[in-house]
Amino acid sequence: MTLNLCILTPNRIVLDSEVKEIILSTNSGQIGVLPNHAPIATAIDTGILRIRLNDQWLTIALMGGFARMDNNEITILVNDAEKGSDIDPQEVQQALEIAEANLRKAEGKIQIIEANLALRQARTRVEAINAIS
Amino acid sequence: MALAALRREGRRFAPMISPRPITALRSSPLAPSLEDEGPIGVRYISTQVVRNRMKSVKNIQKITKAMKMVAASKLRAIQTKAENSRGLWQPFTALLGDLPSADVKKNVVVTISSDKGLCGGINSTSVKISKGLHKLNSGPEKETKYVILGEKAKAQLIRDSKKDIELIITELQKNPLNYTQVSVLADEILKNVEYDALRIVFNKFHSVVSFVPTVSTVLSPEIVEREAESGGKLGDLDSYEVEGGETKGEILQNLAEFQFSCVMFNAVLENACSEQGARMSAMDSSSRNAGDMLDRLTLTYNRTRQASITTELIEIISGASALEG
Repeated sequence: MTLNLCILTPNRIVLDSEVKEIILSTNSGQIGVLPNHAPIATAIDTGILRIRLNDQWLTIALMGGFARMDNNEITILVNDAEKGSDIDPQEVQQALEIAEANLRKAEGKIQIIEANLALRQARTRVEAINAIS
Repeated sequence: MALAALRREGRRFAPMISPRPITALRSSPLAPSLEDEGPIGVRYISTQVVRNRMKSVKNIQKITKAMKMVAASKLRAIQTKAENSRGLWQPFTALLGDLPSADVKKNVVVTISSDKGLCGGINSTSVKISKGLHKLNSGPEKETKYVILGEKAKAQLIRDSKKDIELIITELQKNPLNYTQVSVLADEILKNVEYDALRIVFNKFHSVVSFVPTVSTVLSPEIVEREAESGGKLGDLDSYEVEGGETKGEILQNLAEFQFSCVMFNAVLENACSEQGARMSAMDSSSRNAGDMLDRLTLTYNRTRQASITTELIEIISGASALEG
């Protein structure tokens, strides 16, 4: 029994394959989904998604969205998604540092919120790389 | 036009002194004001005038051909993006359904149109449908408001429905369309407009020659709850366990907002594709028309040229024979 996983972003389809198990982080914690799960609709926070296919774990960084599970078909709709293998470690480190610097410089509510968001996204991507290696 | 023809008919039978280029009379592309009156009612159209006209028609043809190519290349660029974004709103429709028949009190019609003209009839069809929706949904308890994207719809709707317009947004395509920009826009609309149902009117791009005006409906979370409880298509929604937040209502709210921005993104891209496709076909038919016009003008030019040569010859010969005899 496998799950049909589909990860969609506004610009492209990131993943469309069969997997054995997924662990995704929602706003209220992490949930693991195995085949024959009850139908759920959840909101996903900015975080990493772990997929197990053939006893191998893959990580994907997700930037917030929704997931829906029905009859062994999972559809994940997110603002942006990056596979762990596609992320360049150095570039992400730099992005993380820039995001932290921006947060320190930020003034005004909107800028702080934006800087926080950017920081979380950069952290997620760093986590995604670290989780594989 | 008819008066000019009558005038031409009258003069045809008057002086028979000089042969008149009868065929020139049938040349409709030229208005009577271009015809010269020579000595004793000789009527011929100056070749200079015809030549000027031919030059301008040829220039127009060049311009429309170039515009067609530009539209074709822009279409190619946007088409891949539009197709990629199509997969995004389908899960939403599968989960929440697209219910154009939902009976709601506050309707908001989001009309998407282009900023530039010369793109055929797509903007008029969108506006017509928006007006139709407005009429359909106006009544004792119901009301409909407009949110307008694009200059062309603004020009048409501002004339008769000015009081019903909530928000006008133009110059959407200044920067290449991307999701962040559209989601900011969607946020603006959701914040400023009260709605029970949002109906997005746009032209769906089926192929380079077919653009179908479509309406996508996004319902507010309260209406979704109401429809879900009453059963029918949305009845399955209740069977889903909703996690990831405090309450189901909060999730549904987020979901509705996300759905709106995804559907808007797709709608804006599809409309942009339709705009370029319509412009391609409009420019193509106008180049072809210009070509036809050029052919007719060339014939007129040749006839005029030959007629003036004939006139000159006859004058010379009659002059010479007068001298002799």
